[in-house]
Amino acid sequence: MRKHKIIQLLVVLMIALVPNLLMAQAVEKNSISLNLKYFNDNNITHHLLVQAKSKIDGKFQTIPNIPVQFYIGTEADKGNLLGKSVTNDRGEAIIEIPPTAKSAWLKSPNQNFLVVSTATKQFDAGQGDLAITKAKLKIDTTEGKMITAKIVALVDTTWKPIAAVDVIVGVKRLGGILNANETQTYPTDSATGGVIAEFKRDSIPGDQKGNITIIATVVDNEKYGNLSSEMVVPWGKKSVYMTNFDHRTLFARRGHSPIWLELLAYTIVAAVWSIIIFLLFQIKKIKKLGFE
Amino acid sequence: MEKLAENKIVQDLLPQKFGKQGQIWVVCLLAICAVGFYAYCRQLYYGLEVTALRDYASWGIYISNFVFFVAISLVGSLITAVLRLTDVHWSTPLTRIAEIIAVSAISFAGLIIIVDMGRPDRFYNLFTHGRLQSPIIWDVIVITTYLFISLLLLYFPLLPDLKIMIAFKEKNGKSLQKLYEFLGSFWKNKPEQFKITDKAINILSITIIPVAFAIHTVTSWLFATTYRPGWDSTNFGAYFISGAFLVGAGGVLIAMYVFRTHYKLEKYITDDHFDKMGKVVVLLALVYLYFNINEFLVPAFKMKKSEEEHLMGLFTGEFSPIFWFAISASMLIPILILVFKKGRKPKWAFFAGILVVVGSWFKRFLIVTPTLLHPFLPMHDVPKNYTTYIPTWEEWAIAGGSLAGALLVITFFARIFPIIPIHETIIETDSHEKA
Repeated sequence: MRKHKIIQLLVVLMIALVPNLLMAQAVEKNSISLNLKYFNDNNITHHLLVQAKSKIDGKFQTIPNIPVQFYIGTEADKGNLLGKSVTNDRGEAIIEIPPTAKSAWLKSPNQNFLVVSTATKQFDAGQGDLAITKAKLKIDTTEGKMITAKIVALVDTTWKPIAAVDVIVGVKRLGGILNANETQTYPTDSATGGVIAEFKRDSIPGDQKGNITIIATVVDNEKYGNLSSEMVVPWGKKSVYMTNFDHRTLFARRGHSPIWLELLAYTIVAAVWSIIIFLLFQIKKIKKLGFE
Repeated sequence: MEKLAENKIVQDLLPQKFGKQGQIWVVCLLAICAVGFYAYCRQLYYGLEVTALRDYASWGIYISNFVFFVAISLVGSLITAVLRLTDVHWSTPLTRIAEIIAVSAISFAGLIIIVDMGRPDRFYNLFTHGRLQSPIIWDVIVITTYLFISLLLLYFPLLPDLKIMIAFKEKNGKSLQKLYEFLGSFWKNKPEQFKITDKAINILSITIIPVAFAIHTVTSWLFATTYRPGWDSTNFGAYFISGAFLVGAGGVLIAMYVFRTHYKLEKYITDDHFDKMGKVVVLLALVYLYFNINEFLVPAFKMKKSEEEHLMGLFTGEFSPIFWFAISASMLIPILILVFKKGRKPKWAFFAGILVVVGSWFKRFLIVTPTLLHPFLPMHDVPKNYTTYIPTWEEWAIAGGSLAGALLVITFFARIFPIIPIHETIIETDSHEKA
């Protein structure tokens, strides 16, 4: 009898628990993938960028609002922590490598980075890593509007030229890079690690002195990451600041209407109101005649 | 016109006290004005939130009413100036009716703009910060000018009549007598005075025509200088002026009938006047119809994407009942009535006049609102009431109050002053007899 009651109780419990188990299946968390990138910005600052993605409904989608921690080295130790951030609407988080990481940075010609994401309600914790060889990209100019760029990488303790790396050479324009000429990329040569590109964009608008910013960049190189180097040169067309703000136009502010309009309007108003005033004087005249 | 003795003319045309009907009429108008005033107080207290005006339909029936008032005011220049300068004498009994319609309408056109502003305390900003390049400033200037010219055109021909009225001291009562003396005690019927008055009226008649054309052309430019479907037209000035003359003439037909019936003026406002005025209305309705065909057929033939929604809304969409009513009532039916001699009899002409005026009011509504509700960029993420415009009771009350106010001005004017020029009628009768 007691055995039957226990079985009945177990059946009731099973019935009660099965939907909960199914519900638990429904809210199962998604795994997250973290893609870490390194950037050397003009050989002055370095930053790391991570993009968080997850496969949802069969498609990889960028994931915003994921808290991430960046580490230098291969261990997620507190001492290696570079900083914390949260992914933005594009699923990206950026952190500048701080000066406090200098001692760790100087230890080796190669450098490892680690990024770890904290678990959220919808996503599991995740991590991504990156190993780079330290490299510099230098930009310069020579006579005849020629742009030279050179890549050197740290080998043991010395900087050595690197061959066969694709470099984009161009001019910074409207938030992007406009190639210096028809050639899209230049592979560095083995002897100097350099490239030479002729600047053929003569009519590029510059600032008031004609200054433009030329740039050489290496994009997503497996070994060296993203490198860029910029230089300001007076090769652009001088731009003259023009504004209609204080000019007399139909769309200008008060007191700045075109002269022809003012003449026309005031003449008409003056003419018509002169007639009205003249007629008011006529009433006065009639009045005077009446009292004579 | 029959031969009428001078005294008989004076007795017939002197202003009369309100009868029972007149009193009821005045009380009704005052009641409508009072409701409108209460609604305006609510608008002042709560702001324009009490209206249905929102981001898209920011001009509603207030501006429709404004355009209507400006339009109907043009009749002053048509009857007084155009017909006077072209030596058309049959319109003499109608000149004062036309002028007082013009004065009252243009006064309320100015007032309704202040109502539309929501914050009347900011009205002075229009002068301190106004730009000469803006058609709104031109409108302010030209409305003020037109009001002054219309007042002068009302006043000069009134001077000889004031002398006649001053003679009836006992009939007038103390306050009216004081008013008449203040306005015209200096008039002694001297030939020099007549000479100056005639000259002044001629100058005014010439001046008022371009000013009247300017007032409504500028009003049309408030719309046409804006690149919007339905407003982007080079024809708008002429389209507005032709419509304005039509509604003004319609208004005169109504006023003629009301004054003739109420004050028993059959000898002065004759069937012949209705016949001639009816013909004028037919002509003006045909001209306005021509401009309407231009305004709608040409864009409809091209049917540009931006115009399509607006035009289809008028032809077959949400505004089609009002659109076809306005076209029929303001033009088609009055033409069909007035084109026949029987239709130009007083009663039918009065009916046609009502159709013209009511249809024209809705026509102004259609000029203002549908365009605003069809912007170039689609309406996204806005509350549902932003996408339509159904005026609130406060708006109707204020608009109704302003219309009642304009009628009240005309009513009181007819109570105080002779609505048909006495002196001019005597002169014309004399010259008729001599001829």
